[in-house]
Amino acid sequence: MTMAQLITDTATALTAIRQQDLPQLQQPQDWQSKYRLLMQLGKKLPPIPEKMRQNEWLVKGCESRAWLLHYYDSRTEQHFFVLDSDARIVKGLLAIMLCFVNGLTRQEISTLDLQRSFDSLNLKPYLSQSRGNGLNAMVNRIKDVVAAH
Amino acid sequence: MSVFDAAAFRQQFPFFREQPAWIYLDNAATTHKPQVVIDSLVQFYQHDNSNVHRGTHQLSQQATSQFEEARRTVQQFINAAEPAEIVFTSGTTAAFNQLAFGLMHTVLQAGDRILISALEHHANIVPWQLHCQRHGVIIDVIPLTVDRQLDQAAYQTLLDSKPKIVSLTQVSNALGNVLPLAQMLSDAKAAGAMTIVDGAQGIAWQRPDVQKLPADFYCFSAHKLYGPTGIGVLYGKRAYLERLTPLQGGGEMIEHVSFSGSRFNSLPARLEAGTPHIAGALGLAQAIKFISGFDAQQINSYKGLLLKAFHNGLQHIPGIQLLSSRHDNAGIVTLNIQGEHPADVAALLNEQHIAVRAGSHCAMPLFEQLAAPGALRFAFAPYNQLTEVEQCLAALAQAVEILTV
Ligand SMILES: Cc1ncc(COP(=O)(O)O)c(C=O)c1O
Repeated sequence: MTMAQLITDTATALTAIRQQDLPQLQQPQDWQSKYRLLMQLGKKLPPIPEKMRQNEWLVKGCESRAWLLHYYDSRTEQHFFVLDSDARIVKGLLAIMLCFVNGLTRQEISTLDLQRSFDSLNLKPYLSQSRGNGLNAMVNRIKDVVAAH
Repeated sequence: MSVFDAAAFRQQFPFFREQPAWIYLDNAATTHKPQVVIDSLVQFYQHDNSNVHRGTHQLSQQATSQFEEARRTVQQFINAAEPAEIVFTSGTTAAFNQLAFGLMHTVLQAGDRILISALEHHANIVPWQLHCQRHGVIIDVIPLTVDRQLDQAAYQTLLDSKPKIVSLTQVSNALGNVLPLAQMLSDAKAAGAMTIVDGAQGIAWQRPDVQKLPADFYCFSAHKLYGPTGIGVLYGKRAYLERLTPLQGGGEMIEHVSFSGSRFNSLPARLEAGTPHIAGALGLAQAIKFISGFDAQQINSYKGLLLKAFHNGLQHIPGIQLLSSRHDNAGIVTLNIQGEHPADVAALLNEQHIAVRAGSHCAMPLFEQLAAPGALRFAFAPYNQLTEVEQCLAALAQAVEILTV
């Protein structure tokens, strides 16, 4: 699996998630179904192979670990990401976050209001403190890598 | 012999009336507080508030005598030889930091060894690392056997290298093991070591008799014994406490201060710089009085009952990997679901209002050995009920179903 392929597969998966899963998530449903959906959509993101899960890409959450790979297209000024987590619910939440972030420019990312985006999906109650922190850690990492370009 | 009245015990804890939706199984992290403990805090701040050991006024004298009375309550509870052997700290962690700092040079010299176990909480690891590295003291670790017990044969071998200090937990916070301390500590003493016990988890399991137990130091936190947070105890036999260099300097702990140097006060003040957590000490004393009103043996058999019911129920849930031991266990069940991350399981339990802890439980070196990304920990207290055990099992089964179907 090459980096280029991961980037492409992730972008394809995110399109599918945006079209199929996000509308479904917004429907009222019991918590069990909501978590099932979350985990299913997490599964759609291609896993980062073990040998690419290097420490420098590691983003530590409170209870679980996640990895973030980044690619900057200097021609279009777009930022692309690949991410993975060893916990499935976290991965689902990160996948949703990535739906809002992937392919944006530095300018767009800096003005993004993720909290609002999550609220709009009625997902806020599902972000417990620690998972919320894991998500925050990931968002901060994204902002850092973007700022470095 | 009458049996333990679990319902009456639970009744004493207002938390369960306030939060009826929750099943609280995070008792190894902290226990809830009975009404008498809560009342004692309010009573102090509302009626008796004053600083200790410094006022000539009557209020301060009363606060002082209550505070010193609390010290005597602790002394009697663990059967220390005298009240001065009870040093109030902010908790177990603070006690270990005082010990590691205070024993350097006076007891530990470059090239000396100390011995801890693979089951230790970070509180009994990191303070040693902080000071040992700088002073050239070597830390050895008693490894685990394949069945996750301490390797007693390896322990004997490690004692041959003459550690100056052997510092062990009474009960593992991660796996619930009750260590065979009496034997291990006498072996340590026979090998010429000074002995330290981390009683943070053990204190609620078995009240130590520090004159019988060959422990030179014993540390615990009030909040895991139904008492308030922010207060704990560093017990030491007088001769050993005398050898500690104070970690904290300030008021109360000195006898004479001049700019050319200061003379330290006597024990326990020497190790209690600054205004202590007075209300906390009174709360701890209340917690001790509270728990002393129950038969410890009966409490432990009741916890054994809960544990047995939980273990039995676990057999019907697919994919359970039990890490904790079924025997010699103080009430902690640690497990994973095959192929699932503990954080995911904990999130689904949280959704069902089951409070458990997921992670490496401040024992990262242990989880490295177990090659697990962490685990779920179900820690039972005597206020837990059999119905809660059943509900928890159902919630766990539900979580597994959501994750795997
Ligand atoms: C075995 C053990 N040692 C030490 C500690 C630290 O206690 P505290 O955080 O109250 O200082 C704990 C608490 O989790 C523990 O379980």
